Amino acid sequence: MSTQSVEGRRAVAVPRYARIDVIGGALIVLLAVTIWIGARDLDAGALSRIGTGALPKGLAVILFVAGVAILLRGLMQSNEAAERFYIAVRPAAIVVASIVLFGVFIRGGDFGLFSTPQLGLMIVGPLTVFISGNATPEMEVKRLIVLSFGLTAAMLLVFMDLLSVTIPVFPVFIQEPLTLSLGIDTVVRIAYVGYGLLAALLHVIFFGLPEMRRG
Amino acid sequence: MVELFHHLYIGFSTILSVQNVLLCLVGCLVGTLIGVLPGIGPLATIAILMPLTYNAEPIGSLIMLAGIYYGSQYGGSTTAILVNMPGETSSLVTTFDGHAMARQGRAGKALGIAAIGSFIAGTFATFVIAGTAIPLSKLALSFTAGNYFALMVLGLSLAIILAGGSVLKAICMLFIGVLMALVGADQITAEPRLTFGLQILYDGFDIAIVSMGLFGLAEILRNLETPEQKPFVGQVVGSLLPDRQDMKESAGAIARGSVLGSIIGIIPGNGATLSSFVSYALEKALSKHPEKFGKGAIQGVAGPESANNAAAQTTFIPLLTLGLPSTAVMALVGGAMTLHGVVPGPQVISKHPDLFWGVVSSMWIGNLMLVIINLPLIGVWVKFLKVPYHLLFPTIVLFCCIGIYSVNSRPSDVLEVAVFGVLGYVLHKLRFELAPLLLGLVLGAMLEDNLRRGLILSEGNVWTFLSEPLTLALLSIALLALGAAVVPSISKGREQLVDED
Repeated sequence: MSTQSVEGRRAVAVPRYARIDVIGGALIVLLAVTIWIGARDLDAGALSRIGTGALPKGLAVILFVAGVAILLRGLMQSNEAAERFYIAVRPAAIVVASIVLFGVFIRGGDFGLFSTPQLGLMIVGPLTVFISGNATPEMEVKRLIVLSFGLTAAMLLVFMDLLSVTIPVFPVFIQEPLTLSLGIDTVVRIAYVGYGLLAALLHVIFFGLPEMRRG
Repeated sequence: MVELFHHLYIGFSTILSVQNVLLCLVGCLVGTLIGVLPGIGPLATIAILMPLTYNAEPIGSLIMLAGIYYGSQYGGSTTAILVNMPGETSSLVTTFDGHAMARQGRAGKALGIAAIGSFIAGTFATFVIAGTAIPLSKLALSFTAGNYFALMVLGLSLAIILAGGSVLKAICMLFIGVLMALVGADQITAEPRLTFGLQILYDGFDIAIVSMGLFGLAEILRNLETPEQKPFVGQVVGSLLPDRQDMKESAGAIARGSVLGSIIGIIPGNGATLSSFVSYALEKALSKHPEKFGKGAIQGVAGPESANNAAAQTTFIPLLTLGLPSTAVMALVGGAMTLHGVVPGPQVISKHPDLFWGVVSSMWIGNLMLVIINLPLIGVWVKFLKVPYHLLFPTIVLFCCIGIYSVNSRPSDVLEVAVFGVLGYVLHKLRFELAPLLLGLVLGAMLEDNLRRGLILSEGNVWTFLSEPLTLALLSIALLALGAAVVPSISKGREQLVDED
């Protein structure tokens, strides 16, 4: 954290729109206005019987004032005190994309604008790991692929078998016929053992046999 | 005194079932494991692991959560000593002398004294909790709604002030948290509030989702900004057990640290961090050889480590006896309790004595486990220290996704985590502290309820509401404290305390 503030000071001039206090203050003001609009129709009641709208409205006003204060502080502070707003967009976007992918396809469903099929953890798990792993330049493709399958297997074991939580595992068109013939528990076990073996196999292919093999 | 032991007996008879001991053990181990992993503090650890505790019984899940909490603290101390990376701010001080000892080849002794000191302090703090809980909860039961409202305002003010950072921004975060608590159906009229017509918002915000996003995911996004730091892990050499000379040198430090930590922990705000700093300063001031501090003085490890552990435990006091969480971690624990149908507050002791005393005694058991199980396992933890972050964070991402999905089987929860993750990251970059938001979210409903009831009782007369001596006193202290925090010289000192625990 200290390195960032040093960078902030080193910069010659921080334009007003890029200062953290300006952006932060503006954000709070915006939020306050939104809350006020949302609470507009709520009854504020009287002091002896404060209504549903009292606290939202009151807090919106306080937030507005505080936001303006932060905004003004940002506008008026000296260049040395100003700090530039900076976020690392790429890693954040990649990680968020991987999570959104998980959320949208794990069970599928109707998301208002679009609807998606269920792909289940067998498909979504490795994809989430692999995509999010790309968020850092230190990424090693081979290790990441091994991790994708190994981790999905481990999660299935932990969540389905140890914690007995129900998570969609397969795409819906595979799950139904398989479950009918074998029973869901068996199918899931076959699945994670399979993925575990796949991960082990890939590990051997990529990195060779581990040196200290026992037994 | 007899009563105290009777209560502890209830507690121990609750926790000493196979299942609860096992949950405590799992909590401690998993907590230590994640606490040792680079870049994840106790708060993120609990936020990430919370879904795991949903399936257990209320007692079991609280025992496990508590285990995760002090396990991850313990893990933080380990990294502080071995690789000079404090896992959390409360073990920052430990790096000064702990890591110096490690470089002198005395890492084992530093780890050993940290564990032993923590255990002694933890034992002391357990008794403090057992001794203060009943009087405090009795006092709290005699409070009127107005008193309670004032007490909450005071607690929140202190939490804001002692957490560091800009007071103005912290207040904004607190109020946003309170507003988030109000979203959804009104407690009394069931009228939808601030939902903007969205079905998702009608159920309000789930604390597990919010905290996993704000603290778990946002922490990953923050860590991804900078290139990976490869910690240099030295060999753990030297015996783990401090010899008689070491014990003699650190006995005083441990005793003082225990008392200091227990007291500071009760005060809202970041007790664990504050107490470790105070203890370090105290030991240095009392020492005959202050020049040795920073160069491997064993007191410089023993004191702060005892203090932060004692404080970590006594921060449970306000939550368990008054229902007021004083740190973000406690807010999470409070959220978990509510989720299991146990509303934190003064009535917990009388309504669920087994739960209350079970959790209190589990802290002692947990501390014991940390000493006798974790010290021998130190070699294993060192291996975890070496896990590269570029493989670690995809693991956490998948774990979070599955974990949060498993709670309600709702895909939208997963998307919500992503939203809060981005929000937490952006707010952090704008230098907004997130802990007050969580406190507001947990306390918001209670705050409104007490304000409402207090005003009804005073028939809408603000002066009647305020003229009650206790209410007035508590609110004045809150106001004074907030006023003082804005004074430039004090606020300068405060801003150095910034952290997110």
